Amino acid sequence: MRSPFARGHRSTEPAGTLHVVDPSPLNWLYITYNTVEELVRVTPGGKIRPAAMRAYRWRDDRTLEVRVRPGERFPDGEPLTAATVKRSFDEQQRWQAPHPPGTHFNIDPRVRCEVVSQRKVRFHLPEPDGLVIGKLRATHVMSTRFWEEVGFGYARQGSGEGHW
Amino acid sequence: MIDAPGPWGTGPFILTQGASVIDAQRAVIRSEPLACIWQYTEQRSERVRLVANPDYWDRRRGPRPAEVVFRNDLPPERALELVCTGEGEVDLVTEVPAAQAARVEASEHARLVAVDSAMAVAGVIDRDAVDLPLADRRARQALNLAVDREALVRDAVFGRARPMSGLTPPTRLTAAHRAPDRLRPYPHDPARAAGLWRAAGGGTGGLLRIAAPAALEAVARRVGADVERVLGLGTEVRTLAEEAEGQERRRLAENKEGPRDWHVLLVGQGNQSIDAPPLELHRAFAGETGEYRAGPVIPEFERLYEQLPAHTSQLALVRMANRIDRYVRRQALALFLYAPQALYAVNRHVDFKPYTTSFELAETEVGPQHWSRR
Repeated sequence: MRSPFARGHRSTEPAGTLHVVDPSPLNWLYITYNTVEELVRVTPGGKIRPAAMRAYRWRDDRTLEVRVRPGERFPDGEPLTAATVKRSFDEQQRWQAPHPPGTHFNIDPRVRCEVVSQRKVRFHLPEPDGLVIGKLRATHVMSTRFWEEVGFGYARQGSGEGHW
Repeated sequence: MIDAPGPWGTGPFILTQGASVIDAQRAVIRSEPLACIWQYTEQRSERVRLVANPDYWDRRRGPRPAEVVFRNDLPPERALELVCTGEGEVDLVTEVPAAQAARVEASEHARLVAVDSAMAVAGVIDRDAVDLPLADRRARQALNLAVDREALVRDAVFGRARPMSGLTPPTRLTAAHRAPDRLRPYPHDPARAAGLWRAAGGGTGGLLRIAAPAALEAVARRVGADVERVLGLGTEVRTLAEEAEGQERRRLAENKEGPRDWHVLLVGQGNQSIDAPPLELHRAFAGETGEYRAGPVIPEFERLYEQLPAHTSQLALVRMANRIDRYVRRQALALFLYAPQALYAVNRHVDFKPYTTSFELAETEVGPQHWSRR
């Protein structure tokens, strides 16, 4: 059958409703990925790419500098800034094993996040960790209201362990 | 996970109704420093509704659908029937079993969308076994050489998979990982397999016990048939219902001493990005903190794995990941089988853009002839 999506059929504004049945045991994660951003995302081909961050660079092998994308806002109007990123990172680091897949997604608890400016943070690592860029995929960047009203398991279960 | 709807994130959609959550139980692999996995049970609202985030920054990406409704009130079999036989109830079903692919292809209403996933289906090999010489690399290589992967993929997975060389799934972006010496799957080589088995002290007439989740029963039986024919062993296949599979995985994660009531445990292990497969795959099967490690810690693997994060350059990371994959393959630290395709049944008026490692809908387009737009 010829695809009905030939050039010219693309809409510029969101349109239509999709009814999805997803038996995957990772559905909870897919709901998160569709509604939340992280500093990085994964492309359809599986590669890590900047998302909520505009760019990053290694200042040296223990200092990762991240520039936050300008102009981003949460749906309640709160701007996404370097302070938002630090809050999310610090919330994650409170827990021993926050990520349901396991501790292999943990970022070294000694890593410190410094707000350099409204759009720039630096992660100070105790030792080189080239995997940290990919692990930021699990550091969900959330609004202040989220942390205060819901949190990752905070309101429901009183703990963020295993609930990121 | 998100426990309640609200304006919490800056992603392409906003969660406006329902939730999909899990209750997790920890399985401790190592207590200090802590290494663990979580096992969980799901709780989903009957419907989870997402609406397009009008302020999402990446307009090229989307979101293209105005609304996405996850219907959790339908069992997968019924959902597949609905997407194949009509319109308006179900537009997209994930995790279509390979055995059902032809049915979707024959449908007037739905199309089959397939993508090479970054998942690995492989066998955990019990290196602690006392009745078979699986601690010996040659015996593990013999198992790998005994399996006819091409036939396995054709007969047990309906051709919807690619044979694996090691534990790195062969995606387009990992093609370079296997150059220049072109890491290839273990060939089906009965004579060499039998020779290595004998050299490792393995006789004929023993019994290889294979355990597998129900979804992999056909694969387990095919592997068993190859082993029987090539190595002269008897085989016993035990299928695990969902609960039993979870219990087996927990036992394996928490008890690294054995004994175990299987020699080979088939598992499917996902991978959230293709940049550093050892984090989720090689570590899981062979690492000290590996939830599937079934045998003593392997110092050489640990030495290689510790070097992985030492590289902040992407190229160096890839090279290190390749070295680990080659080592794991050479040592036959798993029974390498295949990387499956992820299969979706999709309404003919929906242009679904699949992801290798995830399920995201920002780029998916709902056509003008779709029931929701007519």
